[in-house]
Amino acid sequence: MDMYASGPLLELNKAIPSFDESGLPPVPFSMKLMPGDCMVVEARDIGHATMFADLCCGLVPLEDGSVRFMGLDWADLGDRELNALRGRIGRVTHRASWPEFVPVHLAIVLQQLHHTTRPIDVLVHDAARLAERFGLPGLPTQNPSFLPEEDLLRASCVRAFLGRPHLLLLEDPLESGPAELSNSFLAAITEARDRGAGVIWLVRNNAVWQEYRQGVTATWRLADDGLVAVRMG
Amino acid sequence: MSSEEIIDPTVQHDASIQRVLLHMVLPFVLIIMTVVAIAWVGISSYRTTSEGVSVLTRELMEATQHYIGQEVGDYIAPSAAGNLIAAGMIEHAPPQVSDKVFYSYGSIMLQKIPQLQSFYLADDQGNFTLITRSPDKDVQDHVRLVTQPGGAKVLHHVLFNTAGQQVRQYDAPAGDYDPRVRPWYKNTAGKDTIQWTQPYLFPTDKQFVMTSSLRFRRDDGHEMVFATNISLNELSAFLDKIKIGKSGSAMIVDGEGRVIAGRNLTQHAEAAGWDPDKMVLDPKIYPVFALGYDHYRVRGFGPKHVEWDSRSYITMASALPRYSQGWILLIAAPENDFGSFAHQSSRQSLQFAGIVTVFSLLLGGLYIRQLRRTEAGNRRLAVQQSQVAQESGALQQVAVAPHLFDPAADALVLTEQLAQVAGARRASLWRFLHDGAAMVCDDTYDRTQNTHSGGFEMGREELGKFFDAIEEGSSFSVSNAATDERTTRFERLVMREVSTRALAVYPVHGPHGTLGMLALEDPVMLPHLLYFVELMASIAGTRFAAQDALEAQQKPATDSKTSAPVAVTGTPLSDNLLMRADEMAEVTGASIYPSVAVLVVSFSDPVVEGNKETTALIALINQLATQVQSVAQEEHLFAVEVAGHRMICMAGCTTEPDPTALVRLANAALKMRETFMGALAAADLEPVFTMGMDFGPAFGGAVGQTPTVFNLWGQTVSLAELMAESAIDPGTIQVTERVYASLRDRYLFRSRGSFFVPHLGLGRAYTLAARR
Repeated sequence: MDMYASGPLLELNKAIPSFDESGLPPVPFSMKLMPGDCMVVEARDIGHATMFADLCCGLVPLEDGSVRFMGLDWADLGDRELNALRGRIGRVTHRASWPEFVPVHLAIVLQQLHHTTRPIDVLVHDAARLAERFGLPGLPTQNPSFLPEEDLLRASCVRAFLGRPHLLLLEDPLESGPAELSNSFLAAITEARDRGAGVIWLVRNNAVWQEYRQGVTATWRLADDGLVAVRMG
Repeated sequence: MSSEEIIDPTVQHDASIQRVLLHMVLPFVLIIMTVVAIAWVGISSYRTTSEGVSVLTRELMEATQHYIGQEVGDYIAPSAAGNLIAAGMIEHAPPQVSDKVFYSYGSIMLQKIPQLQSFYLADDQGNFTLITRSPDKDVQDHVRLVTQPGGAKVLHHVLFNTAGQQVRQYDAPAGDYDPRVRPWYKNTAGKDTIQWTQPYLFPTDKQFVMTSSLRFRRDDGHEMVFATNISLNELSAFLDKIKIGKSGSAMIVDGEGRVIAGRNLTQHAEAAGWDPDKMVLDPKIYPVFALGYDHYRVRGFGPKHVEWDSRSYITMASALPRYSQGWILLIAAPENDFGSFAHQSSRQSLQFAGIVTVFSLLLGGLYIRQLRRTEAGNRRLAVQQSQVAQESGALQQVAVAPHLFDPAADALVLTEQLAQVAGARRASLWRFLHDGAAMVCDDTYDRTQNTHSGGFEMGREELGKFFDAIEEGSSFSVSNAATDERTTRFERLVMREVSTRALAVYPVHGPHGTLGMLALEDPVMLPHLLYFVELMASIAGTRFAAQDALEAQQKPATDSKTSAPVAVTGTPLSDNLLMRADEMAEVTGASIYPSVAVLVVSFSDPVVEGNKETTALIALINQLATQVQSVAQEEHLFAVEVAGHRMICMAGCTTEPDPTALVRLANAALKMRETFMGALAAADLEPVFTMGMDFGPAFGGAVGQTPTVFNLWGQTVSLAELMAESAIDPGTIQVTERVYASLRDRYLFRSRGSFFVPHLGLGRAYTLAARR
């Protein structure tokens, strides 16, 4: 996918999320994520972290302000364009996001099959390569309930990084994932940033990302009064 | 937009609506408005014309009616007026000459006025004279009622020709004929005006005749009646001849609805049995006249519009002038006879409207086509502008690359930017060697894998036609390299491995001819490329020329060195085998082993921060290696190979299947795991290793010259490595389905699930837990 280099990749401009719809504090959220940036957002509440990721994806209604991704305001787009634009985002969520009726390998490539014309064998090849990279012996073919939690986390990473997304919204897979996932996860983040993708890494505690401290562009904390910049000492 | 995305979210839907409005709706609305305007003008014109036609038709009908009334009056007038004249002449003439006056008058009138048939003169004494036409041509018959001496009455006929000469005479019996009882005589009783009888058939010549009679008193006191018979056949003939429109006709009926005169009167009379009273307007014979007559009886005189048999007719009823006894003139004509030109005009208007509509549609189509072409042009322009911007950006990237023209430094940016700008799967730079006898790949960039490679060489002997095509100096591209004879071998050697089809070749020119080529595989954007590829080819040409010059300088220096033979260093002090079985000494060449058990132990990269830690770590590694050697010897493994942070243990490297190899290796794996866990725990370290096992065919053997090294390849080794790399937890032994199937009776396993690996297919992975 071509690199986006025409301004901020993601921009929250005094965006006030609907409290009723998201539970996020109804205060203005402002931030900019440039291509290649990696931003760590500390959020103690897992639900808030997920809602913040939803806010970045244009899934949370706004009471005021705007959220722009790749220069496009989510609020200005039609359904087709909204869905297509979301196809450029890779996500790892804490919220259960595996449909039980679809085998994992299909759920992994489903997004790319839906949004792109890439041949299925190319997708499967890429997905299998990512699966090996994230510590799976191949592309899991069983339904999600048959897989161990750790392998599901690995599969979440495969799904998030498949298709070279422009934006990665990663609700920390390292916290509850296997320790050996760390290296491949950080390597994948670095590679994605190198090709111009932006990364928002939502963590619960500081310890997780310290290993990657030098690579982090900015740190924010999701508090009751909105996004608060954390000084990186 | 990525070329693989189905929907480009940057294209706003509003723009699509605007385009649809501009391209489809606007022309369509304009065409509809044009058609509606034409239809409105046509309808207005039709209405105006129809109203004009209606007025004109009415006026024409009225004029026709006046004309017919006049004609009918003129037809009847000689009969009525003649009665008055003749009665006046006879009234005052002496009785002895009254007959002469009667005959003279009658003779002249019969000669001059064709519709008159005969004249009667009778008195109150029963005298009767008659003048009429004889059946013979131009002969008149003078008749007198004579009472013979015997009392018998005869009609004495004297026939005269036109010269007044008597032709012959004869008598015919008159029976009891008495003129005073005839209707024409009786209906004048007590009246001094002209009276008409009902029409009746004159049997001699089948003429319909009416009689007008006038009573007068002669000077001698006797009352006389003068009567004139007038034929209605002539009136019918006149009405038959008269033209009303194209196919209209007229008819005269009396107040009782009986037909007096009209078209086909004779046939009508015949159908009515020659009974005038039965000659009424029959709707079956005269449907339109019957309708017109009914309208007249209800609504009175005037023009009326009637419908019959899905056709419109105009009927007009009017009173005839004097002498006509309340006769009614009925005129009927199809409306089309008068309004046909209006229909013609409407049809022409419709045709004009159709032509204008077709032209409008054509213009609309041309407008849409022009808009689409303009838009396509704009799109092409936008693509071109985007391409220019991209090429400029790429050029900037190339320009800032350090040591771009230094042949000693890699210029990876060239192939990277070429692949990006051309949208190619791969871009590669090839340089001629040995005066064009071979070509070497300086750099190949795979855009999808984001990898560089190079160093491949192709000889002219293998790819003669491809070399010739490059040396012609012109760039060329083929959509399917496998079918073009110039590129088919290049496709087989280079392109097939990544399944690319299209190839674009740009020769790289130097000062002394072609120096190489630049190849683009599956270049999607090739039709839009402007100058970038040629520019890159020029840069590559400069690099190649510089490299040739550099090689030319280095050649003498190289030549001056004597090529010393490769020294055989003898038996190495050590190789990468931690343990080797005695059988290995017998291995000389490559062999295929049908059932090799392979165990791969993978260690994480250790993090060391000081010399002390390094020393401790090396001691630990040494301890582990020693223990591995011990276990391997206990279990009679074939070999244990050390490669960086991996160890490959193998058993069963025999040409005949060794049924115990897998069991021995599994035992060894469990022992090693236990040993490693213990040693690492003693060193206060987490388990930093994973183990993977597979079992199956592999091939291997001693490779290289002295010293030879034993090596093992194959899917079994790859799968064992994959199992080790993807073990679910540190310190676990992950095995393939084949190992599980062979050992499940002796060992305990946990299933991890089924997985798909390209080129290997679907398989399950298990964790080896312990012995049963």
